[in-house]
Amino acid sequence: MTERLVSVLRAVIFVLLGLALCGIMFQLAGYSAPLMFQAIADGAFLRAGALQQALRWSLPLFITATGVALSFRAGYFNIGAQGQFYIGAVSAAFMAEWLNGAPAAIVIPACIASGMLGGAAWALWPGLLRLKSGADEVITTLMGNFLAGLVLLYVTAGPLKDPSGSGQQASSRPLDAAYRISDSMGLSPTIVAIVAVVGVAIWLLINRTTFGVLSGLAGRNPTMVEWQGARTWRIGLASFLISGALAGLAGTVELMGPNGRLTGGFLPGHGFTAILIALVANFSVVGTAFVALFFGGLASAALYLPIMAGLPSAAIDVINAAIALFITAKSSLIDRIAKLKGRTWKTS
Amino acid sequence: MMEDRSPIFECRDVTVRYGDITALADVGVTFERGMIHAVVGQNGAGKTTFARVLAGLVRPAAGSLKFSGRSHAGGSVNDARRAGVELVHQSFALPPSFTVAEAMQFGAEGGSLFTRSALERRWQPHLDSLDVKVKARQRIRDLPVEIQQGVEIARALVSEAKLLILDEPTAVLSPEGTEKLFERIRRLKARDVTVILILHKIREVLAIADTVTVLRGGRLVDGPLDCTEIDADRLAELIIGPAATRGLNADDKAALTGSATVAHAHIETSSARKNSVLEMRAVSTRADTEGPALDNVDLTISAGEIIGVAGVEGNGQRTLVRAISALVDVVDGTLAIGGDDVTGKQLAARRAAGLRIIPFERNVEGLSLSSSLWENWSARSLLQMPLLAAINPVTIQKRCAAALNRWDVHYANVAQRAGSLSGGNAQKVILSREMDEDARLILAAQPTRGLDIGATSFVWDAMRDAKARGCGLLFISSDLDEIFDISDRVVVMLSGRIVAEFRPPYDISAVGAAMTGVLK
Repeated sequence: MTERLVSVLRAVIFVLLGLALCGIMFQLAGYSAPLMFQAIADGAFLRAGALQQALRWSLPLFITATGVALSFRAGYFNIGAQGQFYIGAVSAAFMAEWLNGAPAAIVIPACIASGMLGGAAWALWPGLLRLKSGADEVITTLMGNFLAGLVLLYVTAGPLKDPSGSGQQASSRPLDAAYRISDSMGLSPTIVAIVAVVGVAIWLLINRTTFGVLSGLAGRNPTMVEWQGARTWRIGLASFLISGALAGLAGTVELMGPNGRLTGGFLPGHGFTAILIALVANFSVVGTAFVALFFGGLASAALYLPIMAGLPSAAIDVINAAIALFITAKSSLIDRIAKLKGRTWKTS
Repeated sequence: MMEDRSPIFECRDVTVRYGDITALADVGVTFERGMIHAVVGQNGAGKTTFARVLAGLVRPAAGSLKFSGRSHAGGSVNDARRAGVELVHQSFALPPSFTVAEAMQFGAEGGSLFTRSALERRWQPHLDSLDVKVKARQRIRDLPVEIQQGVEIARALVSEAKLLILDEPTAVLSPEGTEKLFERIRRLKARDVTVILILHKIREVLAIADTVTVLRGGRLVDGPLDCTEIDADRLAELIIGPAATRGLNADDKAALTGSATVAHAHIETSSARKNSVLEMRAVSTRADTEGPALDNVDLTISAGEIIGVAGVEGNGQRTLVRAISALVDVVDGTLAIGGDDVTGKQLAARRAAGLRIIPFERNVEGLSLSSSLWENWSARSLLQMPLLAAINPVTIQKRCAAALNRWDVHYANVAQRAGSLSGGNAQKVILSREMDEDARLILAAQPTRGLDIGATSFVWDAMRDAKARGCGLLFISSDLDEIFDISDRVVVMLSGRIVAEFRPPYDISAVGAAMTGVLK
């Protein structure tokens, strides 16, 4: 068996295990597991328009998840994608506000650049803290998420507040229709093009540059790379910045595409789902595309769960969590199975 | 008192497997009470596994064990303890932050609550009776290796051990420390403790043991043989095996088995003064967690020269390699590679100047075990390109395959993980990366540690080839025999300083004295 096949099988098995666990749990809790699975399948891919919905959620998730995959692969556990996503969206919103009235051909690229810079800036400080003083990036990026959430609340309730808002939920003034890159359905050639560029660029970076090989080595054994004379801080900083920039880009896409405005606490699980996607995809760009589509499908199915199975739509979060549970436990579990099976899993 | 010569330990058909690897196959021996028994063999012969079977750490897949005539199932440390068996590990297992008294109490039975001074009062007499010159309140980490080993032995003897197993106890010691250890073992014998010594060197076997048992490739070759009835040459042949012996020259064979000290290397008198590849002038560093500071080190290595570094481990050898590799700050002095001052330069610049490193820890500093062979192999050359340079993995993989074939690495494909290779093959991957055409100065830190005979002599030959191509080599080893066999000059390190330099013919007692600071 090739290594690639093994990792695909792994991902599939653990996702199925997570789904099965949830099925059992909900069945025991008095819901119908078959109906739940039916609702997921229908809502994700089978119903008319379901696939479109799945894509709407999976495209931004893919952008963020490739960044997460890149940094995890290099050994830097940037779990601040959620915060970088928010700060990216906020930066893009400020840029749009500042350039309001200028032609879309200027505003849209400027907003994208600004969103990416914002996301990168929100990854820069945890990166520097890690590289210069050894502060654990898991802690700093995680805390950065809460800070970014508060920044978003401040911005939507303060500088960019929509005066006509109901007051129910703080939100910013809607973007001028000319600056939107998609309607609220979230699918447009522009977004697909952005996703394609990101996918190809990151794939090339990982698979066809010295950075790709060296960051992969550094992620598995930084000591060895240091003895080879690498300045590992450059690899580390680049990984942080790129992953932050991509999360910021996803935030920009959400702002300028389906959302059209900033809302306090919007898409609260985006960054964490992206981390889950990167983990399930085993940090491969191609894998991330498929896994993002699957999780986009789950997000889309969240609408159908209450209708078809009587489950709250938050059940999707439970499913995500169950898959996360298995995927983070995967290494030791697989090793144990491999031992029992007389090492048939060991790759050649 | 009548001498009791009944067997203290017998085993029949003992087989141990780790996964697919058979570490011991059908081994059967009988050890008599009250003697010093040596078990010898090359790396990978199964010596340590054998010791672990005796100590109850490994349960054999097949075979029977008997301690003092009573059968044991094996695989239980407590059973072995009750039978009076104690093992002193190759790498010391005492917690560094413990005091000596605490370490003693750790291995002992009885007692519940102690004050520190009560512990010290309890154990000081025990240490004194074994002539371990240490205060019970000292911390393990502050003790020199020889004393640490004494404490290990004392700890093993807290519970009236009848059979003491020492796994390669001389590996960390200077010749003088070895002599002291042997005296201690003889005193134990006088106290009626049976001692099994796992050893590496014939010289040591013949100096201390009453019997010798030879293992090769997990099988019993012969033994226990009476040490008075066997000579070094015969023993060397038993250890190496008839097939491998043929390919080795006499000096290499002697160096491999420690049957005799190789007194002189192959001295080459060169008329022309050769260019220096390394010049260290009064280099000092600061001490850190990885070792002592370098103190005013002067060292010159010329092209086509191998400099051996002898010394008890932990006397600055590691710092020396790290200083030359820019992995520790040089606070004073200058360092030049190939005539160019590189004192303030990073490792990347020094590598560009021709520096190559075979690091101490093959599996940590040398290779990324969970990464593929081709990634590991290409790291050095990739680092000489810009970080965003485009590469073609297929081309690199082809070049890697060609290089690995040239270096006789046994592997299935270049995408396999480095961790799937044996120690010898893994080391060859590092050699193929570090001993390239552009190398000028090669730091070889313990390059043969843990390797079997074939791989060891392969590494030696590779070093000689590099020397013949005009490289300068720094060769660090804790095995004086191989240092003498390979090196054109030998320097001795002690407490971060180079305290002596020797030229062939080498005098092992003079080098040994320098290692412990007794200059002659």
